[in-house]
Amino acid sequence: MLQRLTVEAFVLSADTMQPQVDEPFHVVVTLHVRERVSAINNLQLPMLAQLELLGDERQTVTDPRGTQYREVVTVVVHAAGRFTIAPATLQAIDARDGKPKQWFTNDLPLSVRSSPTRIASGVAAGLFSQIARILAALIWLALLVGAALLAIFLLRRRAPVAPVPAPVAEPVSYQRVLSDAQRRRHIIEDALLVLRAERTRSAAVRVRAAVWRVIGAPEGETLGDVLRRPGCSEGPLRDLLVALERSAFTYDEDLAAAVEDACAALERYAESLT
Amino acid sequence: MTVERQPSDLRAALAKTIVGQEGVIEALLLALLSNGHVLLEGPPGLAKTLACRSLAAALEGDFKRIQFTPDLLPSDIVGTRIFDQRESSFATVLGPIFANVVLADEINRAPAKVQSALLEAMQERQVTIGPESHVLPDPFVVMATMNPLDSEGTYALPIAQMDRFLMKISVGYPTRDEELQILDRFAMADTQPVRCVATLDDVRAWRAAAHAVHVDEKLKRYIVDLVAITRAAQNVAVKSAGGASLKAAELIDYGASPRATLALAFLARGRALLDGRDFALPDDVRAVAAPALRHRIGFNYRLATENVSADVVIDAMIAAIPAP
Repeated sequence: MLQRLTVEAFVLSADTMQPQVDEPFHVVVTLHVRERVSAINNLQLPMLAQLELLGDERQTVTDPRGTQYREVVTVVVHAAGRFTIAPATLQAIDARDGKPKQWFTNDLPLSVRSSPTRIASGVAAGLFSQIARILAALIWLALLVGAALLAIFLLRRRAPVAPVPAPVAEPVSYQRVLSDAQRRRHIIEDALLVLRAERTRSAAVRVRAAVWRVIGAPEGETLGDVLRRPGCSEGPLRDLLVALERSAFTYDEDLAAAVEDACAALERYAESLT
Repeated sequence: MTVERQPSDLRAALAKTIVGQEGVIEALLLALLSNGHVLLEGPPGLAKTLACRSLAAALEGDFKRIQFTPDLLPSDIVGTRIFDQRESSFATVLGPIFANVVLADEINRAPAKVQSALLEAMQERQVTIGPESHVLPDPFVVMATMNPLDSEGTYALPIAQMDRFLMKISVGYPTRDEELQILDRFAMADTQPVRCVATLDDVRAWRAAAHAVHVDEKLKRYIVDLVAITRAAQNVAVKSAGGASLKAAELIDYGASPRATLALAFLARGRALLDGRDFALPDDVRAVAAPALRHRIGFNYRLATENVSADVVIDAMIAAIPAP
């Protein structure tokens, strides 16, 4: 069941847009809603193809202004180059007008750099260490001055200022950001990348789950249930669902062929979405 | 293993004779592939005998029908030894149980010792008459029927004996269109005899192929979860016919046995083979879950007092376990 939410902010960010090869960094999904809820349902992370997942931490904090949901995914990239992380999505009923909607974050273009050459010289290392110490001292000094100024400002303030309501973000409506086909294609292409890179049972199961989410099928349904959904019983989507089911449940000797079929079916389905 | 003729050929041949009743046809084929037996519950006149006879004919096998009555004796089923005056010795006369497909009609009309004789034969696949043991033919499928409408003068099958049936099917009335087809096929035209489409050797090969069907670890866990929830269904909500909300556990005295776990795996494999696959899917398990569990769960009196159907409880328990 979809939650009834007033989405005020929904953002995808990273602690660096230029991560280095083999150095972990964080991808962060931040959502702020006006309602006070204990959990956020139906929020989907992007597939994070080309990235290795190292950890996932979720935090839901409620206060009188609503709920802040923050999911921090620790990832690492093993190859240099440019790629884009697809938007995260949230399905909910918009509390402003009572209509079910889908919200998207921004996407996240990353430029992955090769690891810098290690500075071998001990002299250079020492120089850097001295500069770092000076910088740290300057930062501390700036922080102390800032804290003093803040304390003076607070003491001199006489009457509490009426709180200004946070600007309400317009729901990023589905049609205004990405068409349904574009969104599906984005995720399917991600899934294809994942399955081509990792031809294992667990990858096949993850891709199967991602494709089911794309078509709105909840976990726990069987293939038969999913095929009874409108638009799922024929064409490239049906072939894809059947191929993924095979790769998730067939015997080990057949897995390579099943994954190959699933990749071909993903490709055909992605093409059909143009 | 390569088998030239497929189980689906047998299904197609039976469908040409029997209108509708896909559940009965599939149950018979699954029992054949899984080396098990079927209990059918439904009113008379629903093509149960025709289905058994047609199956035997399509396999070139033997078919026998035993009408269970209160005065039936075990020897009427398994056979007996009679004294031959000319030879001055005892000769063994084998009973009707020696057939490939046996229809035990209205099994609950016979007393417990007769039911036991049949069920022992089903389990051991051999019978002992006097000093000799006789192996039953292979394949050997028993299809037993019970009429739910007329319970007077019947002997309920103990749960331990019910457990020996691989599955229990509830047979319903045909739809209007199916009934029109029945009229056309049987009252307005000469019926065609069932064509033999496979041999008993084919059935043995199919059974070997079904045994080799892959069941993934995720599916095994799903099967175990489905059986486990019948023993601890505190969190499964059921609505009574009057709209009252109940917990399934309140209606159940005891859940399914480990034999149900095995039955689910066998049946899922058989269904996968019928569908032309060499690996089972969650759909296979879910499709056979109700027939495999229905007769293995002990419901208590509240099922009747709360006016809840056993199938509603079973469906709620199956729905409570998410498929992998």
